[in-house]
Amino acid sequence: MSDAPLMPRWRILVTPRWICWHLFAVVAVAGMAWLGDWQFRRAMAGNTLSWAYTFEWPIFAIFGVVFWVKTVRDELHPAPAGGSQAQQITLPAGAAGRGSPGDAALAAGPDGAGPGDAGLAGAGSAGAESAGSGPADVELAEYNAYLARLSSEVRGHGRWHGLR
Amino acid sequence: MDADRQLALVVRAYRTMAYLTGTVLIILCFVGIPLQVFASNLIIVKYVGTAHGMLYIIYVVVAFVMTRMVRMRVASPGTVIVLLAGTIPVLTFVVERWVSRKYIDPALAASAGRQTAPAAASR
Repeated sequence: MSDAPLMPRWRILVTPRWICWHLFAVVAVAGMAWLGDWQFRRAMAGNTLSWAYTFEWPIFAIFGVVFWVKTVRDELHPAPAGGSQAQQITLPAGAAGRGSPGDAALAAGPDGAGPGDAGLAGAGSAGAESAGSGPADVELAEYNAYLARLSSEVRGHGRWHGLR
Repeated sequence: MDADRQLALVVRAYRTMAYLTGTVLIILCFVGIPLQVFASNLIIVKYVGTAHGMLYIIYVVVAFVMTRMVRMRVASPGTVIVLLAGTIPVLTFVVERWVSRKYIDPALAASAGRQTAPAAASR
């Protein structure tokens, strides 16, 4: 295992704990497939109620496989903890003395597509209009940057990732 | 469809299925099974049982999508309880309250915050 440091996440899946879970998944899916077969034999023997279960158990077995795949993939590719996106944000323009608060707000939404981005841009221009002098503007710029950061942190939330 | 609308839609679908599956399961367990055991009347068990089986398949799929969208871990006790709740009488109602408080409401609040918080910055 000379390449062990190169794929540490992959190696998690062959720990005793995970091997037990793999075995459990295999047994569970095989068990559900067997139950489906059992219901099929009952259905063929004349039990009409068994026809529904004949189709249900294979569906549950497929779902079991999907569940297992998702679990393994989540383990291999854990969701980024907001690190990569948060780093893209430039520090508040107002805090640096130059530029409008709109820069900071817009920097957080480079794609400029969603409704949230429109809101940010609007907020930024509104802030820029009142930009003049004094500590209040710096405070507002910092607050805008803070909101922009929060907004970008939750942007990916609630998104359906499919079978990633 | 953008993520916020998608989240709201999935949450609504999950709640609908949780209540529907839960209600059908209560009828099955507290009306159908006593009738089968004490009166040998199979009519409710036969039809409501089959209906629950099919509804449960939809429930599992919708609930699973919901757990993904509110960022619950896949192989966590919470996710497993949400998925199995559809087979245990009354549990869907309890679990729906719990999962709403713990995961759905924060996710919806974050989703709403994305739209309202930037507007607040102009004040």
